[in-house]
Amino acid sequence: MSQREHIEKALKTIERSDLNAFITVDYEGARRQAVEADAGKLDGRLAGVPIAIKDAISTKGLRTTCASKMLEHYVPPYDAFVIQRLRAEGAILIGKTNMDEFSMGASTETSFFGPCKNPWDINRVPGGSSGGSAASVAAYEADLALGSDTGGSIRCPASFCGVVGLKPTYGRVSRSGLISYGNSLEQIGPIARTVKECATLFEVIAGHDPADSTSLNLPVTSCEQSISDDITGLKIGVPLDFFGEGVDAAVENATRKAINILVDLGAEAVEISMPSLRYALPAYYIQAMSEASSNLARYCGIIYGHRVKKDQDWHQTFSKNRASGFGKEVKRRVLLGTYALSAGYYDKYYLKALKARTLIRADFKRAFQKHDALIAPTMPHVAFKIGEKIEDPLSLYKEDINTVPVNLANIPALSIPCGKKGKLPIGLQIIGDQLDEARLFNIAWQFEHNTKFNKYAE
Amino acid sequence: MIIRTDVEHIARLACIELDDEDLQEFTIQLNTILEYFEELEDVEAKLLQQEEDNVLRTDEITPSLSQQEALSNAPRVDGGYFRGPRII
Repeated sequence: MSQREHIEKALKTIERSDLNAFITVDYEGARRQAVEADAGKLDGRLAGVPIAIKDAISTKGLRTTCASKMLEHYVPPYDAFVIQRLRAEGAILIGKTNMDEFSMGASTETSFFGPCKNPWDINRVPGGSSGGSAASVAAYEADLALGSDTGGSIRCPASFCGVVGLKPTYGRVSRSGLISYGNSLEQIGPIARTVKECATLFEVIAGHDPADSTSLNLPVTSCEQSISDDITGLKIGVPLDFFGEGVDAAVENATRKAINILVDLGAEAVEISMPSLRYALPAYYIQAMSEASSNLARYCGIIYGHRVKKDQDWHQTFSKNRASGFGKEVKRRVLLGTYALSAGYYDKYYLKALKARTLIRADFKRAFQKHDALIAPTMPHVAFKIGEKIEDPLSLYKEDINTVPVNLANIPALSIPCGKKGKLPIGLQIIGDQLDEARLFNIAWQFEHNTKFNKYAE
Repeated sequence: MIIRTDVEHIARLACIELDDEDLQEFTIQLNTILEYFEELEDVEAKLLQQEEDNVLRTDEITPSLSQQEALSNAPRVDGGYFRGPRII
């Protein structure tokens, strides 16, 4: 098949799809690049591969909305660092994917452009906030995708859509050009149908970028080189704190079965306890909301973004622009973050959250002194119905119970399919120590190649 | 426990205009969420020493956005400037 045919096939799949996985499809750009690929003008590790980009990542000349009315017409004048990397490796940017508004959600229902749907069951959510990225890859609307993960936003939709997704170590991938939500927690990461493809995309986007001062100036270890290594003697910790109330029996069974498979492959598994994890969810939300209240202060409607027709005084104009440009969940989080940082409440909320984060990091550090990796369910259950939780914000926050600890600890974690409940995929979460992505890909590859849970795997 | 006037105050700080319906809904929801945050009340820990060093760079001039690019997304532009609301 020529690149042109390959891209046309993906574009046709998008056109016929009722998933609403894309906010913007770049038909013209994708076709132009496919012609270049066929003429041998594109080279690199991703030459001619159609890739979908979460609409929180800036693409020069291609509308980037963050799924918000606030940025409905925003066209970035520059490329994010990761986009520069993709272009340099010959990837074809097929479009920008649907997401929760400003990455705030676990269901891709808060998008200004309407909810995205789960490819396994059109009545269910794809997870979030990078729901369109995971759904598009699962439904062959793209071969690869980029998402971003502040509290689980790559791993949750990877789990619900039955694909492979990685949240890298904090600082491993540049955030330059990523529209900020909770900047001390978030990372851009790869989503793919197989472990190997996920590793390739990770290697392409990882690395130092002086434009992001939190980006690590350390060499990127090859993940592909060690991907098929034997895992005999691997020490796995199983933190029981991830199997608390609310975890579905089918999810727990699938996770335990997966651990037994890894033990059969030569790993050793021990159950452990990480008591500080009970603080993870409130600590995450306080910190993420506080950072959001500050990061989103830039949307006043003067330099870019939504602006009401009639100006009043400055304060009223800003307040009206923000009232009509932001959706409900964004307002809730900005209000709560503003409150948590306001005079008299800082010690009670923000400082407590920082202290909890310190304890959680120490717990993970202790765990990785004895264990090479930790294994747990990614999500407490399979994809839920559209509309089921949206009216109850706290119930949606609780979806993130098993994913936020990883962000608070700055460590990497990967989600890979490990079974199904009915027709809906279940995700296995493999958590590693800082900069240990290669080991996560190795464990995931071994699991994928010795099981048939990943329907996309060779 | 926060009351309606607290939410009005927070909304003013956050520069988000709220109508009556919003105020009513957010007062209830924010209380539910803040109550959940109370779970952190018993956290006691010494904060970690800052692990990261300051990142410095040499002060060199590098290419940046052109004026046209910088203004390209502005809702209102006037003679090469961003146009804000009137002050007087």
